[in-house]
Amino acid sequence: MLKLFKLFNNKRLFILLITLVMFIVVMGFSLGTRKSLSWPENFLRDTTGFVQNLFYKPAGYVAGFFQDIANLHDLAEENEQLKILAAQYARDKAIYNFTKAENERYKERLEFKEAQKKLYDYELHIAQVISLTTEPSNSSVVIDLGSKDGIKPNMSVISSEGMVGVISQVSNFTSTVKLMTMMDINDPNSQPPIAGTALNKEQNSFGMIESYDPQTGLLEMNKIPVGDPIAVGDTIISSGGGGVYPRGLTIGTVKSVQEGAYGYTSTALIEPTANFQDWKDLFVVFTEERAE
Amino acid sequence: MRMRRSVLILLLFLLFIIQGTLLPWLLPNAWEMRIIPNLVFIVILFVTVYHHRHTALILGLAFGMLHDVVFYGRILGAHSFAMGLSAYLIGLVFQLPRAPLPLMMSVVLLGSLLENSILFGIYSVFNLNREPYNWALLNHMLPTMLFHFAIGLLLYIPVRRQLELLKKETQKEESA
Repeated sequence: MLKLFKLFNNKRLFILLITLVMFIVVMGFSLGTRKSLSWPENFLRDTTGFVQNLFYKPAGYVAGFFQDIANLHDLAEENEQLKILAAQYARDKAIYNFTKAENERYKERLEFKEAQKKLYDYELHIAQVISLTTEPSNSSVVIDLGSKDGIKPNMSVISSEGMVGVISQVSNFTSTVKLMTMMDINDPNSQPPIAGTALNKEQNSFGMIESYDPQTGLLEMNKIPVGDPIAVGDTIISSGGGGVYPRGLTIGTVKSVQEGAYGYTSTALIEPTANFQDWKDLFVVFTEERAE
Repeated sequence: MRMRRSVLILLLFLLFIIQGTLLPWLLPNAWEMRIIPNLVFIVILFVTVYHHRHTALILGLAFGMLHDVVFYGRILGAHSFAMGLSAYLIGLVFQLPRAPLPLMMSVVLLGSLLENSILFGIYSVFNLNREPYNWALLNHMLPTMLFHFAIGLLLYIPVRRQLELLKKETQKEESA
């Protein structure tokens, strides 16, 4: 016993032990879900966010300028394709407006509640990326919208290509986006699984996108029921079931369909459409407030 | 009198900003997922070899925590712990004020491997990664080591000059 006391008299060892315990406490504490951040964290994040903002945007413009020069000769071709797309869009828009009006009339007749009507309404808010880290076990992107702009944890974030991730932490003027590559079924704080469906087969197709495999770079969609028409090459979108993710966000394309782990349901491997590179602008999806 | 010290801290902060904002634009896309630049840690390794391991420990803990808070995705304190501990351990073995360039470069290689391995260990303990160690080693730790080596070569002369000035200043303070 006396020897033990002597050991603890050693100041350095004592400090070491205290630090170790502190670290384990901090890590364990931060691992759990947190509603909001403490003020030192807010302060640090907002001040560094401000400085990072000064750097990231000009760098992006310079890099973008050189990229534009390199892409100049593809431009004519791209323009042509976009014109065709625009024409198609104009036609689809007319059809869409008709269907929408019809749909609203039916809803009125069926006496939908106000909340049910607004279930699938959402708007996009543009956000500038201000810095990022690509570390495999903790990839995150910092954007310049914060709780002052109405951002809340677990909001979906998309790029122009497809879904990117969810908001994980929010401070006053910045927030961190946890990328979809962090999805992990074993991690209790991972973003909740996305209920997905295949484009043009929305009524008959269903699956849960639950994890991402960094070794292959593919998302895994599990729990696909028997007789599901899902096939290789289908575009997977979120179905809006479950409430966390809004309906209709593009997630990826099906690479292969296999028998699932238990043999009854099947599993599809999905290649994400967002490429998780060259960030400039992201969109945060604001949905209608829902009672919880 | 504490001019040099604040210059060092400002330099570290600037490097921290650069590694999050400028480097992703400069690195080719194909490498982006494989190289995890940590410029701050390279300079901290210089500090631990040429200055003192306790300074490096404090700097590692502080800037690691800054990284953790700014890029808070899953867990706080992982970088802080990894950077502080590995800088201290490297300093315990290699603290030589007159270390030549080749030795310093091998310290950079060894240090970044150690730091990434500690990080990997922490994430494994908290069950946050599923990949085997040898995959992680080949996928991102080795490329990162080589990248750090190149950056270490670039930073060698300016950082060492700063540290010499810092040393002179502290000696003057002690004698005064």
